[in-house]
Order: sequence, then structure tokens, then C-alpha cells
Amino acid sequence: MKCEHCDIIERRSKIEILYEDEEVVVAIKDLSITPGQITVFPKEHFTILEGVPENILEKCSLIANKIGIAVFESLGSQGTNIMIQNGLGAGQKVPHFAIEVVPRVENDGLNLTWEAKQLPEDEMETAFMTLEQGMKELDSSVENEDDGKEGSNKTKDKSDKKIAKEDDKDNYLLKSLKKIP
Amino acid sequence: MDPQQLSEEQRKEMEEKIKNMSPEELLEFQKQQCIFCQIISGKIPSKKIYEDDKVLAILDINPAAKGHILLLPKEHYAIMPQIPEKEIGNMFVIAKRMSKLILKVLKVSGTNIFVANGLAAGQKAQHFMIHIIPRKEGDGILEAEGKLIDEEMRGKIKSLIEEKFNELLGVKKKVLQVEAESSDEDKEVEEPEETEKEGEERKEKKKPSKKGKKKINKKKVVKEKKEKKKKKVEEENDDDKDDGGDASLDDIANLFK
Repeated sequence: MKCEHCDIIERRSKIEILYEDEEVVVAIKDLSITPGQITVFPKEHFTILEGVPENILEKCSLIANKIGIAVFESLGSQGTNIMIQNGLGAGQKVPHFAIEVVPRVENDGLNLTWEAKQLPEDEMETAFMTLEQGMKELDSSVENEDDGKEGSNKTKDKSDKKIAKEDDKDNYLLKSLKKIP
Repeated sequence: MDPQQLSEEQRKEMEEKIKNMSPEELLEFQKQQCIFCQIISGKIPSKKIYEDDKVLAILDINPAAKGHILLLPKEHYAIMPQIPEKEIGNMFVIAKRMSKLILKVLKVSGTNIFVANGLAAGQKAQHFMIHIIPRKEGDGILEAEGKLIDEEMRGKIKSLIEEKFNELLGVKKKVLQVEAESSDEDKEVEEPEETEKEGEERKEKKKPSKKGKKKINKKKVVKEKKEKKKKKVEEENDDDKDDGGDASLDDIANLFK
């Protein structure tokens, strides 16, 4: 499968890559919502958020935050959006998890918003009960599996020690999850 | 507090009051004004999906889609750069759990994790939050077309951001360099018998060695960083935030008043 983000790592273009370490890459991609958009993604190929190990996700979020600060200060932005498009239905274009940092200025014409709805009370209540029930199930499964890892097999050989605790996890949940889209 | 509802005089009075507040008072004032702080304290009821001692996840009452979750830090922060790093990491991990929950029980084909920092970015409340939005294709939420950015432009962007970003990553680098410089000064103080000219020559000779030192320091920093990472990125530097704390960010945070 062709993956644009893995390609970026492989190309090592000085223009594209703003920062990289053993786990995370920060890139300025050619296709952006607005000039100055920066993409933060893990080096290892994880398709969706649910597959990203916690330590990698934490690191990506901290780097995205720092990019956000750098963007505020160096591009003269008046705001930033931090965004994860998770799954095709959410507009994810590249099958490799990423956090996008989008610099914003007033009246920049970007339509990064939504129409706030007023749902009927019973519909809100159903959604709430469904989520609440799901949360309980998730909690009980978390107790013995912590968090499912989509690439846990791949992760094993590379960072055995680091996430030994999180490995060996039954990722049945995620397998079923990925079937949904 | 909607400024438009105030008369000119009241507005000025309010501004004056805010100006004279200590940072602590200002934070307290913001908290009182903040509807999400009242939700967190239980004064305003909400539909709670998840809660621990640091964060609260609730259903958005005016959602983009059914099941739209707001993840809030219990502490009042206006924008992400104000939040301690440890909490940011933790919030994204919990956002991942919320996303997983939504995907699992709501049968949607994706989720958006979305943060707006600043009015210009579409932030509506003065309390930082992460939106977790259930998505289906064609629902018209957060739709933004990408366009091609040419290399020249990207090069410019890179050079603008890179320096600041590296500075933010390597707070230690700065400190070490200062130390190196001050030790140089010490040496000069120790040898006052030198004439000015000699001193200048010395300085010139020192330059390359100083550069060498810097390089070593950088390497040191990298090493230290690696060690740190292995320790699982533990609150790398809380003072880091303070270090970069500058007017422009505070301005953005304070726009909400």
C-alpha cells in the first residue's frame, strides 16, 4: 500500500521535513488547507488514532503543541486549529495517522467549522445512554487489556522494552473496529 | 459577559478593572465568567461521559453531530499553549479513548479530533477543549479543500518556523550556552594583567573553541533528550511554557474578555 507519509520519511527532502527524531516526523506537505499548515505524524505506520500507542500519541501531541506555539510566534497567526482526521468519513486522506496544525488569521476564508445543531432531547438522551453504556464496556475491557494496539506486532520487535507492558494485547476490539468503515 | 451588551462607560470601567487585576485575580475572574468551569463544578448540569481528577468529557448540547463530545481540562486554561505538557499528553490519550468509544458504539465512519486556539480559529468559549466529533461522509463538518503549496512558499514557511520550533524543543540548549559563555567571562576576569589588545586577540582565538563547545553542548542536549524520552517524556519541562510565555500568546488568550 502506498503511503504518502511513509514516502515523506523515505524521501528525506529538506524542504518537506521540518523536524524528525526516532519516533516523530514534522513535515510541511505540498497539499495544505492553507500555507503554513504543518503535519505531525509518527514514524511508524499507524493507520488510525486508535492504533497509535499512548507514548507515541503523547509525544505527537506535545510536538503539535510546540508547533502551534512556533506558528503563533513566527507566522503572525492569530490562532491555530489542531486537527486529527480519523477515518475516511472524517476526511482522512492519507492512511497514516497525523495531527495537522493549521495557522489561522481572521477572515482567512477557511471553513473549518460546523453547523451547531439543536437535537431533540430524546435523541440526546439516546446518544448519551449509548455512549455511557459503551464506556462501561470499554472500561471493563481496558482493565485487562489497557489499550488495544493496532500494529502491536510491528511494534514488538522495535520497541520491545518501551511498551512491553502494553504489548501482548488482544486487539480484537480494534480489528472489529476497523471493519466498520 | 458579552461586551456588546455593555454601554461604552461600563465597558471602559470593566476594562479598567481588568487591567488593575493581578494575574491570580484575573484567572479567578475568568473562571467566574466561564460557563465550562461552572459545568465542571456541577453548578450547571451536563451529560458526563467520562470524568477523572484532571478532565471531564461531556456531550455538547449544540453538537455538530449526534454524540459530539467535549473533553475539558478541569483547570481553567484558555488555549493549548497554556496547558502543562503532561496534561496535554494525557488529554490526547483520553481523546483517543473517546474516539474509540464513538467509533465502537455509534457506527460512524470516522471521528475528528479538533482544537480551536483563539477567536480567529473559531474558538467560541474561553475554556480550552478538545472536540471529538462523530463523522459520516458528506455531513458537511470541518470540510476544507487542500491546495498545492509550491516549494518556494514551503521553504519560506520552514525557515520562519524552524528556528522558533527548535528553540522551543531545546530549552536546555540555551541554558548550556549561557553557562559556556559565562565561564569564558570568568576566565577573563581571572587574568586582569592582560592588555586590551592581548585580550582581544585572546577573544578571537577563543571564538572557534567556543563554537566547538556549543557543538558539544548540542550533542549533549540531544543525548540528554534521548535519555529523557526513554524515561517516557516525563514532564519534560513545565517551565518551558513560562520560558516561551510571551505577549502575543497572552494576547490571544485574553481576546475573550
